[in-house]
Amino acid sequence: MSTRLKDQWTTLLVAALAGTFGVALLHITGLLGAAIAADDVTGGSATVALMLGVVAMVFIVIAIYVSAVVTANTVSTVVAGRTRLIALLRLIGSSARTQRAQIAREGLLVGVAGAAIGVVLGTGVAFALDEIAVANELMPATDYGYLNVWVVLPAVAVVVTTWLASWVGSRRVLRVRPIQAIGNSNEQDREELGRSRGRNASAIVLSVLGLAMLVAGVVWGPTNPVWMIVAVLGGVVSFTGIVLAAHVVMPPALRLVGRLFGGSPSARLAAENAVRHPERSSRMTIGLVIGVTLVTTFAVAMESYRAMLVAAQQVRPEVYAGIDEMLNATVAVFTVLIGFSALIAAIGMVNTLSLSVMQRTRELGLLRALGFDRRQLRRMIVVESAALTLAATAMGIVLGFGYGWAGAQALLGGAQGQIAFVLPGIPWALFGGLLVAAGVLTLVASIAPARRAMRVSPVVALAVE
Amino acid sequence: MPRHSRFRSFEIMQIQPSDLGLIARVATLGKHYGEGAGAVTALDDVSLGLRRGEFTAIMGPSGSGKSTLMHIMAGLDTPSSGRVWLGDTDITELSDSALTVLRRRRVGFIFQSFNLVPTLDVRGNVMLPFELDGRRPSREEQAWIDELLETLGLGARLGHRPHELSGGQQQRVAIARALATRPDLVFADEPTGNLDSRTGREVLGLLAAASARYGQSIAMVTHDPIAASHADRILFLADGRIVRDSARSTPEDISTFMLAMEVAA
Repeated sequence: MSTRLKDQWTTLLVAALAGTFGVALLHITGLLGAAIAADDVTGGSATVALMLGVVAMVFIVIAIYVSAVVTANTVSTVVAGRTRLIALLRLIGSSARTQRAQIAREGLLVGVAGAAIGVVLGTGVAFALDEIAVANELMPATDYGYLNVWVVLPAVAVVVTTWLASWVGSRRVLRVRPIQAIGNSNEQDREELGRSRGRNASAIVLSVLGLAMLVAGVVWGPTNPVWMIVAVLGGVVSFTGIVLAAHVVMPPALRLVGRLFGGSPSARLAAENAVRHPERSSRMTIGLVIGVTLVTTFAVAMESYRAMLVAAQQVRPEVYAGIDEMLNATVAVFTVLIGFSALIAAIGMVNTLSLSVMQRTRELGLLRALGFDRRQLRRMIVVESAALTLAATAMGIVLGFGYGWAGAQALLGGAQGQIAFVLPGIPWALFGGLLVAAGVLTLVASIAPARRAMRVSPVVALAVE
Repeated sequence: MPRHSRFRSFEIMQIQPSDLGLIARVATLGKHYGEGAGAVTALDDVSLGLRRGEFTAIMGPSGSGKSTLMHIMAGLDTPSSGRVWLGDTDITELSDSALTVLRRRRVGFIFQSFNLVPTLDVRGNVMLPFELDGRRPSREEQAWIDELLETLGLGARLGHRPHELSGGQQQRVAIARALATRPDLVFADEPTGNLDSRTGREVLGLLAAASARYGQSIAMVTHDPIAASHADRILFLADGRIVRDSARSTPEDISTFMLAMEVAA
């Protein structure tokens, strides 16, 4: 049991991070609410506290959703690596259902542990931040009670999603045949794409419907603020559609990016490796896509707003004094909150890449025997990692740019009395930062697998088991 | 003893393997794993030469050291003692990167299974050794590759991935890849181990033809007497030593000798 839990440490890390984030954010929201209630000016305004709570919930839901995707992917990769063991147990007489239930139970166990860690750490983080803020007189001391029912919510959510994600990710246990325990049957390297018709249909319906709402919001938003809400809903609905269709959308993007690295054998193999398990690589990248899209959407909308303010400022400078700092601070806070989900997605990517390279030991040995030198193998793995991160970042930037401009147009198109085209603002600093982050992630994700690949001896890898 | 070893070093230094018509040669080769009581000797003072253009089978029961011998001769593993030549190159102390280039250009491989890169199609797999070398095949090499693919019946399957091919077809692709660069020596490790007997016979026929028709030197490791009967020469290994060196033999002769070896052991 203990050896089986060893390859689940990422699941634990992800659950703990999501739990910490959720609990800390709820505590901080509560602390802010208490501070607002204590303030003479804003005191009694329940709306502000409620709004804060809703915003915090949105961020927590995003973080937990991303961690569920990561966990499902980790579990399915772990199962792929355990195929031999599962086949052996099936051969001896264990049923596929028992095997799958076993993995889901592990998920439940890990989820509970992660949530417990999250509650402790999250409370600690919130407490420390509060102490610092009070000491520096940024916030008044309040009698906020850390023991409250709300904190249970993210903890329960983490347990349930980790459990469910393990169940979803363990689906391929059902496809392991007992015969795979014997002989060296060529590993079935292709996995059938999830040809679930329901999923594809709902992806198409959501995307089309959401896009229609978004267009309507952009066209009529400047005339009537109600359409603004339609535009926001359209954004949420269409993005959900795109996330559902990740297994269709991501592989072509990965292929396209893979082609950028040239036609050398290591680059070509890397590009193919990045799409050899379409389901896996879509899940690997979609968390990053979600993070980058949200950050970019917000930054582009804010940048468009800033451009408009700068134009207005030249007419009446006194009104807009100090607003620049406020915009910067808002973008920074938002980026950190979303960045946390992106961090969870990145951890998932690092782990999945590492596991999938480990499962390719034989193939790496074959490549070494055929004349790949160590540098070429390392290059292959770095390029595979780069293809994944770059495709996700580029996809997120493109989507975020579209959504951000749509939001700015719907919100600000009518701000000057008549309907005008809002020039999309380009947050260069953010784009630069995203590219640097993608570069760092590429390297971090490829260090361990590249080192392992370079150590593979052709003899060991090709020895008949 | 001193005279004997002086003679040996004289021979090693002065005579090139090619002068003897050899394509590969090992001298006083030893390979040991582990130390102390748990030490295992895989190869014990093995000296042999493989003749250019011949199809040689290396036979022996499991654990006889035949795979270790092949790995060392192919530059995949290093010996504990002794020397190894491929052609006139002493490969015993070559660096990892020099061995890599050597394998790429001068050695071909056919394994029992998992021979092909799953993400490349048939053409990509066959062309891989050239691409690793960063070059395109010359016009003459391309003609040779086309002829190979045609002869092996792969002309219509160039765009197929390994998982779309039968086991026999996969082995044909491996043969095409191994022969494509016209290497000094092709190593085949139980090439028929995963095939049904009819397909296995076809593959062995193709290897024998490559040797007879094109003068390709081939070394095949096997424990199957029928597979070994296709070879021009058969070397028998037992407990890390060569115990017999015979010309082409019938499966019956080979089986008889193998059985005798098992009984003696």
